[in-house]
Order: sequence, then C-alpha cells, then structure tokens
Amino acid sequence: MTTLIMRRLLQLPLVVAGVLVVTFALMWIIPGNPMEQEGRQPPPEIQRAMAKQYQLDSPVAFLGGYAARVSGVGWVMGWHDRPFDLGPSMRHPDWTVNEIIAAGFPISATIGLGAIFFAIIIGTLAGLVGGLRPGTWADGATQAIALLGISLPSFVVGSLALVLFCAYWRLLPIAGWGSPAHAILPMCVLSLPFAAYISRLLRFGLVEQMTTDHLRTARAKGLSRAQAARRHALKNALLPVLSYIGPATAAAMTGSFVVEKVFAVPGLGRHFVEGVLGKDITLVMGIVLVYATLLVLLNLLVDVLYAWVDPRIEVAGGAGAQR
Amino acid sequence: MRWIALAALLIGGALTVVTCERSGSRAEIVFSSADVFTMDPQRMSYMQDLRVARAMFEGLCTIDPDTNEPRPGVAESWEVSPDGRTWTFHLRADARWTSGEAVTSDDFRRSWRRLLLPDTAADYTALLFGIKGAEEFFAWRSGALASRAAEGKSDRASAEELWRETLQRFDESVGVRSPDARTLVVELNAPIPYWADLCAFPTLAPVHQPTLERFQRLDPATGMMTCEPGWTKPGTIVTNGPLRLVEWQYKRGMLLERNEQYHDADALECTTVAIVPIEDANTAVLAYESGAIDWVTDLTADFRADLADAARRWRERHRSEYDALIARGLSVDEALAALPAPDRAKGERNDVHALSAFGTDFWSFNCRPTLPGGKANPFADKRVRRAFALAVDKETLTNRVTRLGEPIATTLVPRGSIPGYDSPTGLAHDLDRARRELADAGWIDRDRDGIVENAAGEPFPVVDMLYMTGNPRVKNIAIALAAMWREALGVQCELRGKDGKFAKEDLRQGNFMVARGGWYGDYTDPTTFLDLSKTGNGNNDRAFSNAAFDALLDRAATELDPAVRMRILSDAERLLVEDEMPILPLCQYVTLYMYDPALVRGLSRHPRLSQPLWRLHRANPAPMEPAK
Repeated sequence: MTTLIMRRLLQLPLVVAGVLVVTFALMWIIPGNPMEQEGRQPPPEIQRAMAKQYQLDSPVAFLGGYAARVSGVGWVMGWHDRPFDLGPSMRHPDWTVNEIIAAGFPISATIGLGAIFFAIIIGTLAGLVGGLRPGTWADGATQAIALLGISLPSFVVGSLALVLFCAYWRLLPIAGWGSPAHAILPMCVLSLPFAAYISRLLRFGLVEQMTTDHLRTARAKGLSRAQAARRHALKNALLPVLSYIGPATAAAMTGSFVVEKVFAVPGLGRHFVEGVLGKDITLVMGIVLVYATLLVLLNLLVDVLYAWVDPRIEVAGGAGAQR
Repeated sequence: MRWIALAALLIGGALTVVTCERSGSRAEIVFSSADVFTMDPQRMSYMQDLRVARAMFEGLCTIDPDTNEPRPGVAESWEVSPDGRTWTFHLRADARWTSGEAVTSDDFRRSWRRLLLPDTAADYTALLFGIKGAEEFFAWRSGALASRAAEGKSDRASAEELWRETLQRFDESVGVRSPDARTLVVELNAPIPYWADLCAFPTLAPVHQPTLERFQRLDPATGMMTCEPGWTKPGTIVTNGPLRLVEWQYKRGMLLERNEQYHDADALECTTVAIVPIEDANTAVLAYESGAIDWVTDLTADFRADLADAARRWRERHRSEYDALIARGLSVDEALAALPAPDRAKGERNDVHALSAFGTDFWSFNCRPTLPGGKANPFADKRVRRAFALAVDKETLTNRVTRLGEPIATTLVPRGSIPGYDSPTGLAHDLDRARRELADAGWIDRDRDGIVENAAGEPFPVVDMLYMTGNPRVKNIAIALAAMWREALGVQCELRGKDGKFAKEDLRQGNFMVARGGWYGDYTDPTTFLDLSKTGNGNNDRAFSNAAFDALLDRAATELDPAVRMRILSDAERLLVEDEMPILPLCQYVTLYMYDPALVRGLSRHPRLSQPLWRLHRANPAPMEPAK
C-alpha cells in the first residue's frame, strides 16, 4: 500500500508536467492573441511589445520561464520573489492566476463536493430500488428518470430551476454568490447527471450480482433478498460506482462551465472556458494544473478504497494498480 | 448513516465558510455588466472598464453625460494658443487623491509618459500621438529595446541605463511640461479641436505614482518597465474620481462608494453602486425580475426584441400623456414613471429602454485586388461595391430581421451625433441603379440563368460572407443580406460563420469578400470613425486605400478653422459612402437597457452612453401621483 502511494506521488509531477506541455501546445496553436481586445487592433509595435512582455514571442522561452516560476526552481535560484507562481492572467492583468484559483477553487470545490454527495445518496437509493426488484414498475420509473437525468443538458434543467425557484416561487436568491442559499440550486443541478449515472451503474451491478452462484446459495440458506444483497452483493456491485466516483469528483470539484454560467457562480469552470476562448494561456494552464493534480490524487484515493472494499485486489502491483 | 451525517456536516461547514465572507447591506444601485478586465486606466479599452474608470478617476476634463461637451475636471480652466497647437491647463487647488495628497500636473505628465511607453503595451497609446514628439518617442523606445535584445544584453545595469536615458529623452523631446504643480502645458503637432474631449478619455487619467512605483519592476531580460498585478486592488489603489473602489472580487463583483475626498463630493447623488458580472443573458433578466439587480446594462437575451416590442406598445398607448409630461419639463425617466403602470397581462412593459448608441453596424467589402490564393476579387471594383450597397433594404433589416427598429444608416458617422458636422447623404435603397452599376462593371446575366456573368461568360464568384458566430443577430442579418443580394443582383452567396478569434484571423489575412463589421466612436469627432479607412490603419480590415481620401484627412488635420475642417471631413466621408463604398453601413447600434424608471435615476440617454455612475441613485419613494 505504502509503495503504491509513494510511487503514485512520485509520478504526479511527471504526469502534471506532461499534461501541461500538451495544454500549452494546444493553446499555442489556437489563433488569436490574448492581449487583443474586442473589435480593435492595437498597432503592430504595441502587439509586439505585448507579446514580448509575456514571452509570447518564443514558445520555448515561455515554457522554460513558466517551468522555473511554477516549480519553484526560479525561487530557489533567486530569480523570482515567490515560489509556485502561476503568473499574471493574460486577459486580466490585474489578477494573478494564483489569486483567481484561490478565489474560484473553493467555490467550485464546495459545489462539486455537495453535488457528488447528493449524487451518491440519490443515485444509491435509486440504484437499490431498481437493482433489488428488476423489471418492476419502480425499476422502470427510476431508470427512466435516470436516463432523463443523463440526457437533459444542465442549461435546460438549470434555466428551468432558475425560473421556477427564483423568479416564479422566489424561494431562493438568483444569480451570484454570497450565502449558502446561493449554492443549493447549482449543487442540485450539477448532481443530477452524476446521480443518474451512479444509479445505473449500481442497478446493473446489483442485478448481475444477484444472479451469481454465491448469492443463490445465500438465498437458499434462508437470507431474505434484502439481507443477501446487503451482506454479499452490495459491496461487489459498488466497485464500478467507486471507480466512477474518483474522476467524477475531480470533474465536479473543478467546476462545471454550464452550471456556473447559468447561475452566475464565480467558479473555476467558468474561468477555464472563458480563459480558453480568450486565449488566456497562463490562466488555462493554472487551472489544468489544479485539475490534473486533483485527478491523480482522487484516482489514488479510489485505488486505496478499492483495496479496502475488496481485499482480493492486490494494490501494491499487478492489475489492481492499473485501477 | 454516521458517514453520511459526517459528510453532510463537512460540506455544510465548507459552504458556510466559502459563501459567507461579507454579507453587507445591498448597495443603493446594483447593476449587471460584462466583467471588468482591468482597473489600470492606461491599459484599459473595454466599454465596461472605461465606464467604471470614469467614476474612479478624473482627467483634466470630464464629459457632460447629457450634452457630451467637455467640462472642467481636475483642470479648472484652460487656454489654447492662437495657432491651436499649445494648450495650457490650470489645475484646481482642491483636487485630491483618496490618500489626501494633491493631484499635481506632474501626475499627469508621468501618467501620459506611461501611456506612451511601449512597455505598458497600452491599446490607446496612439491617442497621444498628436502631442509633439510623442510618436517619435514611442518609436525610439521600441527601437532601443529591440536593439538591446539584438545585442544580447540582459543585465540589470544596461536596463537601468536605458531607462534613465528614456526618462531624459521624454523630458527633452515630448511636448508635455509641468512648469509648476498646477500648470500643464501640452504642445501638439497640429491643432486638434477635440483635444479637451480626449483629455476626458479615461486612458489619459492620472494614476497615483507612489502606489504604482511600488509595483513597477525593471525587467533585466527585456529591459522593459513591467508592472506587477495588485496595485489596482481595493485597499491599495489610490484614485481621484467621484467614486472609490471598496470591493472587487474576480468575476464576482465590485462595490464603489462616494469618495468623500472628491472636490465636488457634496454634489454627488450616489452613495454606493455595486456591479455584478452576469454572463448569461437570460439569468440577467431573471435577476432583474427577482429584484436582485436594478439595471441590466446590455440586454442581449434572445427574446430582447419581444421585450422592446412590449415597451413600445405601452408607450404608444400613452403617447399623448407622455408628450404632455415631457412638454411640462420632466425628464424621460420621470415622465415614464408618471404614466399609468403597464398591463403585463396584455404584454406591456415600461422598463425596457432602446437607446441609440455612438456606433455603426456595417459590413466590410474586401478592397484588395486579389483574394488569398491569387483569385481575382470582384469587390476590388467600386461599382460592384456600390451595387451591393444599393441592393440592401435596410428598413426591412431593422424592422423584420433585427426587430429593434434601429435608425438606419447611410453614413459611417452616426447622423446628427457630432455638433457642426453635416453628414453626407449616402446611398439609398435603389434596385435599378444597383443592377445598372453591376452591369457597368461587366456583370450581366448573359445566358438568362438568373446568375450574372462577365464578358468571358464566367459566373460571378460565389460571394464569401464571413461573420462571427455566437450572436444570432449577426447571423440573421447575414442570411437576410444573402437573400437580398441573390434576389436583386443574381449572385450566389455563401455564409461562413466563424468563432471570433478565427474570424479575426481571416479578416487580417483578407480571406473574405464581405464580412461583418461595426465600430463605436471613442471621442466626439468624425475622425474617430473616418480614420478606419485610412491607408494602413490597424483596423482597416478592408485594406481600403485611396489617395484622395487620405489627402482630405491630412488636410483636415492641419486646418485651423473648425467649420472648414468639418466641411473637409464631410467631403471625405462623402467619398466613402457615396463613391468608394469600402463599408456598407446598415444601422446605428441600439443598446437595450432594462430598469424601472420609477426606481433608478441619473442614467443618461446621450448616444455616447458614458453612464455617470456617480449620478446613479434611487428615486424618492413617492415622486408624484400616477396620472390616472
């Protein structure tokens, strides 16, 4: 176990560096200039001055400078005042990327964690209903709702929720951020697709488990359907759910553009997409850095949980380590 | 169960911590706007940034929001020399920074120097190029930095030496002097009649030098004076305008309050204003409907034409009462507030306001002789351009396509927007003449197949129409134009929608035949629009070049008599919109505001729409009895 954790933690910087280089290459080939303003073009000398200021005149110089600044090497060497400095945002020169992430990440992470929490509870309940009584009307109803949850886009559900809860019934505050009440709708809307997915994973897992030999034996020995499911089927049926929750949590915590845009939540998802559209290279790379790190860490956590749920899995190496 | 309860507790706790930072009381006026990019006056260029900067910073002059005339700002008076080239500004004694220090002429001199440095990479540097020696100074510094880089120098000493030389050169060669703390003398290359108007532009506002200096660093690698982020944050930034910055969180909002240090603080009507950035157009409307915001600054929801219709219906029903109230001397908002409430059930509204803006919606014709790839460009011929312009029915466009009833435009400079300027007539909708012009250019339907051909029998190339995606209005206009041209002229059109950045790249490379354009004026002078068509102008996407037009602009630039100058500019515009036609003007832009006229006071209806935030306030609870 310790070996696995150590190895993954050592791999982390390499994975993140690789992802960042690819991100940078993609951002680099997008046409346009981050400093350019809507509809107007500064004279060519100004454009050159702007490019030089952000080292945009040479991709190698940019990447080199970025690596030294972000890794802390530049700080150790005394070139920079601070370590782990993600630089200023290119589109919003008044803000550093560190500031933007520090302000946006807690917001997105809270909404994301809340959404995953809702999703696990609702999804598990719905999955149990269907999985224990496959083919009944309750199964059909929950699976139909789940299918709807997966296929309805968030901007439709989000706009509908806004109109109903905020404009029509006036139960919740609209748009913005400032009180826990502001977070309720975004959390619920964000949780829907995750809940639907979890319920489907669990339902099919349970149905499969319930027909296995050891379950039949358990039933034959006199356990009720519910008892047999709880003691013998549920743990195995939860494994695919578990492997889904890791990346899902990372995705939810780094923010959903659509949900954040509809509810005017100042979270990372919105900053990320607007960064891509505005070719804000430093901001996009900063957010990707956070996302990649989170993804690696949460996958590691899932692997550890796997070992705890299913002792047959060998974590120190072999197939288990692949997740 | 225990696990679930624990997780719920943790998330609830995190939520409380994350959300409840400051839940202060609501500002007097809350409005939604696009997000502010920067609060550094010298670097800004977006409309929403400039709007806030006008409230936070005060330049030598200010612009009267209702009449659009320059008024004294930090300068209490100024004189212009007889040759129109030397302006002497006298600063008021009671102009103060929020730190309590006096605003001096040296603050202006250094701020303008900063605007002129290539190091600042300011968008609006060229606004100062009218000053003697300014353009040369900018070019010299750019060149010096480039040759330093070419020599491979990257040491601190050489950067510092170049910086010292730069400061000295500015003092010696650029026509901005501060003989004493309250006098600023500006020497221009040629008379600029609208110089006072420019002095009110926020990028020419002074910034507090001691604050700025704490964040400036000389970068040894490039030799440039760079500025670290942070000096514009609340608590750090020092300003001199009517409002001061209290709170600013990235894409989350801004809070401004009355600046008690301001020399005219007693006359300010505003106490606090808050700005909430809401990107989603529908959410902004819902936020307004729920009372969370008082003013939607740019109503862009897809159903906005219906909202505007609802407001028009209501106003039409009360037209005579409204006219009577205006005749009694009430302002537009007061009159609207005094009318009977609209009947929402009948689809009426009184809170949607369509205001003409100081901008023109147009399409560009590519004037390059050939298209990329060497193909001949039919639009290089001005007769073809005129034919396409004459074939457009603009009334139909604004009444049936955009459905906002924008004032149609036949000129680039919005008609009647500049005092003393007589707009040329331009080209009206005339199908017969359109076909004649096209035939004169050699394009005639020779084989009666509905498509025009040239003498060699080749059909007119498929017209490549480039537009930016993301705005349904633009796409609808493109579809309508294509239909009009197909019908009237017998040409085939192909729409090519591209995302903003990609479209811009195509514009730059001349990869289009006609393309969507548009321009908002920066200052009250025809040149703010006409310069677009100057040979080599950075925003001349059409690559239009005409010696006679350039000569007229050059002549206007040295003309001393304002009336004669305006006539020359009018002649120049006539050349553009009646003869050469590089640009096809469609209509004047209309901005839709949403606010309750009984609640919000202080907004201006002048087309410049430079809204004076320091004037915004709530109307008294009961202004007058509704005239039932």
